[in-house]
Amino acid sequence: MRRRVPSARRLGPLVIVAMAIAALSAPHAMLAQEGALDRRVFEIANELRCPTCVSESVGQSSSPIAREMRIIIQEQLEGGATRTEILAFFQERYGDWILLEPPKRGLHLLVWVLPVAAAMVGVVVLGVLVRRWQAAGATPVAADPADLARVRAALERTDERPSHVDADAFGERHERGA
Amino acid sequence: MRRVLVTTAVVGSLAALFVFGLLRGHPDRDIPSNLLGRTAPSFELPLYEHYTAEYGTVLSLAEERGRPMIINFWASWCGPCYDEAPHLERIWNRYRDDVLVIGVQTQDRDARAAGRAFIDQFGLSFPNVHDNDSRVSITYGLFGVPETFFVRADGTVQYKHAGPVTESMMVEQIEAMLR
Repeated sequence: MRRRVPSARRLGPLVIVAMAIAALSAPHAMLAQEGALDRRVFEIANELRCPTCVSESVGQSSSPIAREMRIIIQEQLEGGATRTEILAFFQERYGDWILLEPPKRGLHLLVWVLPVAAAMVGVVVLGVLVRRWQAAGATPVAADPADLARVRAALERTDERPSHVDADAFGERHERGA
Repeated sequence: MRRVLVTTAVVGSLAALFVFGLLRGHPDRDIPSNLLGRTAPSFELPLYEHYTAEYGTVLSLAEERGRPMIINFWASWCGPCYDEAPHLERIWNRYRDDVLVIGVQTQDRDARAAGRAFIDQFGLSFPNVHDNDSRVSITYGLFGVPETFFVRADGTVQYKHAGPVTESMMVEQIEAMLR
């Protein structure tokens, strides 16, 4: 009896899926290997921007530079350095760019002040608009006496009309499936 | 009419911001080095065997101070590094009496064979070292490769160039260092 050998065409998708899983799990496996690193290493690393990555912190990245930076953080912690001293170490080499949270000084203050200022301006503008709308609602509207008389007459006619007429008309339309 | 003007202004501003974002290139590359005007950090790194006869097995930056230096960081996987290597070799041959060019292979762990092939491909005669764990790369605040530092004779950093160097820009920096 001949044994069927899976063709390369059939194995293709499986190989692709296996490669995708391996590629996705590689950084996590690498980070797991670093499990021996102090938890504080990742706390500090998450405050630093990875210099060779796009939108990743040193704590998240699997790039060689980020790994080396984590080792440096570990070594400095073991040497008794504080979080502030370690951040200053990297800031001295890379400048403020390396900090994911901009320092609260100089031009960086704008990042902190502008959103608050914008929110305050928004509240003030909203308050002014609400007061303006309220004032507009309280002011009597000037209307032509002839127009007012026509509206009153129309309302009186509506009040005199028996309400069951409309209800019956609706019922008739409803039964006909209109 | 007023509403049309306001809408046009808002949409126009957003469109301008979008176009600016697209055209601004690589803002990270334009970040000046934090080392400018400061002493270039010392390092001691193993030299490739091509240079051991002249410089020993380890190159110490501290021992080479006293003349202007060009410190070029490269990697064997970096395309632009292949583009700039011939320019660096020509500059070295032209200014070797006055300026020391140092090549630092970095962000390229366990790639000595690839580094050797790179050096052989261009016949680089200026000293090249291997920063295997990329510590020097971090010390110099590198964002990527290639990056090149121009260091004055007093050891302070005059300029950092991100991206491949050209002969004309190197000549300009060297002349400023020699002045």
